[in-house]
Amino acid sequence: MTQVIIDGKPCAAEEGETLLVVARREGIDIPAFCFEESLASYGACRMCLVEVVKGARPGITTSCTLQAADGLEVLTETPEITGLRKALIELYLAQAPRAESIKALARRYGVEKTRFARKVVKEDPLQNRCILCGLCVRVCGEIMGAGAINYIGRGQFTEINTPFYEENEACMGCGACAEVCPTGAIALEDRTDTRVMKSWSETKVPLARCAACGTFFAPVPFTRYAHEKLDPGILDALKDLCPACRSKAAARKAILLKKEGVIPPEPELQA
Amino acid sequence: MDTARLNEIVERYPAPAGKILGILEQVQREVGYLPKDILQFLAKRLEVSLSELYSLATFYSFFTLAPLGEHVVTVCMGTACHVKGAPELVATLKRLLGVEVDEVTRDGKFLLTTEDNHFSLTSARCFGACSMAPVLRVDNKIFGYITPDRIPAILEQFGWKESQHRGS
Repeated sequence: MTQVIIDGKPCAAEEGETLLVVARREGIDIPAFCFEESLASYGACRMCLVEVVKGARPGITTSCTLQAADGLEVLTETPEITGLRKALIELYLAQAPRAESIKALARRYGVEKTRFARKVVKEDPLQNRCILCGLCVRVCGEIMGAGAINYIGRGQFTEINTPFYEENEACMGCGACAEVCPTGAIALEDRTDTRVMKSWSETKVPLARCAACGTFFAPVPFTRYAHEKLDPGILDALKDLCPACRSKAAARKAILLKKEGVIPPEPELQA
Repeated sequence: MDTARLNEIVERYPAPAGKILGILEQVQREVGYLPKDILQFLAKRLEVSLSELYSLATFYSFFTLAPLGEHVVTVCMGTACHVKGAPELVATLKRLLGVEVDEVTRDGKFLLTTEDNHFSLTSARCFGACSMAPVLRVDNKIFGYITPDRIPAILEQFGWKESQHRGS
């Protein structure tokens, strides 16, 4: 354990933990768009800037890439940092004019408008909300192992989509991309038996149907992927059930087992 | 390009990291562009996602996803050339080569190829020959101080025929 000082307050931290994580745990709300704890720090969005007043490298740096170390002292809101964040917010308002989370942050920092040209693309698959933080690309590739989407092009024309802007069978329809997106840019829709990834070139993924109640509950390739990952796995009989029916079935079985007093229920439930 | 040749190119690189660009470069040189089926083959062969290869192919201006003509005419659109009239050169070239004016992609880049595949027209940022602005390049040959009226003579060196290429 080490101790860092954030805004004058001593905070306990694990060695190697990033300052952003420590600060958030202490209830200090440092804004950040490209940060996700399950992924390596990226330092792309620049919103989490803090000022190191005491430490190995004093100056302004991103707190998501700053490792906690003994004697480190930082300030999270100084006039200089606020100024930088306001400028960043103006840039984001121009890049993603329809992003509600950016607008909310703009209100918090009192930014009323942007000096820069607002980029509005007609029929943008990402609804004029994408700030290119890269979280969707990284979660799809590094965590899900699908790599269905990536950056396309470069510079101010960079976009994120599927290769050749075509439906991509690498997509499992898991929706992790939409889950991590900090601006709600990614649209997907369940149409009865099919999940349509509207932002990803309308990629269509079939939905699995519950064998008991008949509702469509999860994308087929994603359930397959999840079952492969489970160790120990689950009973084959439970695989085709939706979460609600699955817990019902599991509960019923547990009750039966208890009544008959055979063996403790939990291990039996697992294949 | 057949599978045997592709495998040959892939096997030339022992280290898995950093080999992708080399492989794509070789394909671009030999085929003249990066065909979709080759990218799909390479994604499987190299165990990377197709989206990653597509991302690289669209990032580097050296790669093209559409076939290039026999001769590539590149107009410098750097600041100096732009000021010295590069847009007029582009307009003239489009007319002389009979390629559609609207075929410009969203990012402002264009790669226009004549119907007989003889010429491709594209632009680039600064050749580093600003003192001779405006500049254009045909294949590897650089031409400086270009005015629209000098273009036909230059194109003729590369097999341009007014009757064959000129658009309406």
